[in-house]
Amino acid sequence: MTAAETETQPVTDYGLTQRAAQGDMGAFEELYQRHNRRVYSLCLRMTGNVSEAEDLAQEVFIQLFRKIGSFRGESAFTTWLHRLTVNQVLMHFRKRGVKMEQTTEDGETPIQIVKGTENPNAMPVVDRIALDKAISQLPPGYRTVFTLHDIEGHEHEEIARMLGCSVGTSKSQLHKARMKLRGLLRQQKTKE
Amino acid sequence: MNCEKCQELIGDLVDGGLSRKDQSTLGLHLEECFACADVRNDLQSIVAFCRSHRGEYSAPPDADGLWLRIRNVIEAEAQPTAKSAPTSPAPSFWSGWLSRSWELSMPQLAASAAAIVLVVSLGTTVALRRWDHSRGMGPVASSPRSEAATRVRDRMWQQEQAINYWNQRVETNKVRWNQGMRDTFERNLKVIDQAVNDSLNELNRDPHDEVSEEMLNAALNEKLALLREFSDL
Repeated sequence: MTAAETETQPVTDYGLTQRAAQGDMGAFEELYQRHNRRVYSLCLRMTGNVSEAEDLAQEVFIQLFRKIGSFRGESAFTTWLHRLTVNQVLMHFRKRGVKMEQTTEDGETPIQIVKGTENPNAMPVVDRIALDKAISQLPPGYRTVFTLHDIEGHEHEEIARMLGCSVGTSKSQLHKARMKLRGLLRQQKTKE
Repeated sequence: MNCEKCQELIGDLVDGGLSRKDQSTLGLHLEECFACADVRNDLQSIVAFCRSHRGEYSAPPDADGLWLRIRNVIEAEAQPTAKSAPTSPAPSFWSGWLSRSWELSMPQLAASAAAIVLVVSLGTTVALRRWDHSRGMGPVASSPRSEAATRVRDRMWQQEQAINYWNQRVETNKVRWNQGMRDTFERNLKVIDQAVNDSLNELNRDPHDEVSEEMLNAALNEKLALLREFSDL
């Protein structure tokens, strides 16, 4: 690799964290530019509220700056930041007293379709806006599990660890979340 | 198979975690039951949509404004240390110390000597304790796992000292609080203690978990801030 090529190579996230840890605000701003969308989107999907998501994204980056010196590069920066964000949102939920186990929202019984009561209209074509709107209407517990599993791609074991619940609970919350989401998407179509 | 059982299995079917046997039983039911087939189709399209759009992120409404707010907070936090820095070069400690005229009375001399003896004995005690501790730990202490655990333990010990101090002040003032204030305090404390326990559990599982280490630190700092805040009330 030539010197010119080396100069044009983008600085890695780890390199930027090292510089930011020394107080280089330019490096920290670059990290913000690279990752603000990822952090904000995760906060938005988990809270379903734009201003709450903005406040949380702000808090995540402030925490990130405070803790950046402790990032030792043993994991990918995005993984580290992702967990920092999820933990920040969960802490926010705890402070607000949000119940993660939504046992009373729909009751404990599985959501069933009784023949004859089904909406005869077919499921509307899923689109981003409709889905985001429906996700924002989910109860917080369902929304968290749905976001972590179906959108972010975490396994049930990871989610159970993050939320401090059992794998079975995570699976059951996900099923209820999907069913609720399906109902909300159908409702949206009926209203149109 | 009835609809209830079928719908329990649809989630696993969509996620691809269903055994062949369950798949064929479920398939038979879905051929007959249009309602359950509808559920399957809908859930499949929701999940497929999410998977195909994974990694797509939406920008904050005002990313530049958000950055300015973040930068302001960070700079405001850095201000006190910047303000405390001297604006003009002050005479160094040693030059001031040496150029000073030392005229001490007898009581001052006695107090100085006592202070020196106290500092030396304290230093010796601490050094001996550390030496004993490191000998006691043996070869285990040198493993990275125990180093990480020791680091967390040391930091926790330091924070707990401060927490104990503020806790005592809170306990003294608590008698003056009304029930509402007590409930608020207890509720906040419970939330923070929950976060501390969660982080400790994670760290017991993996002492190298940097995020849990930081979350533990943040939770302990938050506990400290809560106690400080309530100690004035």
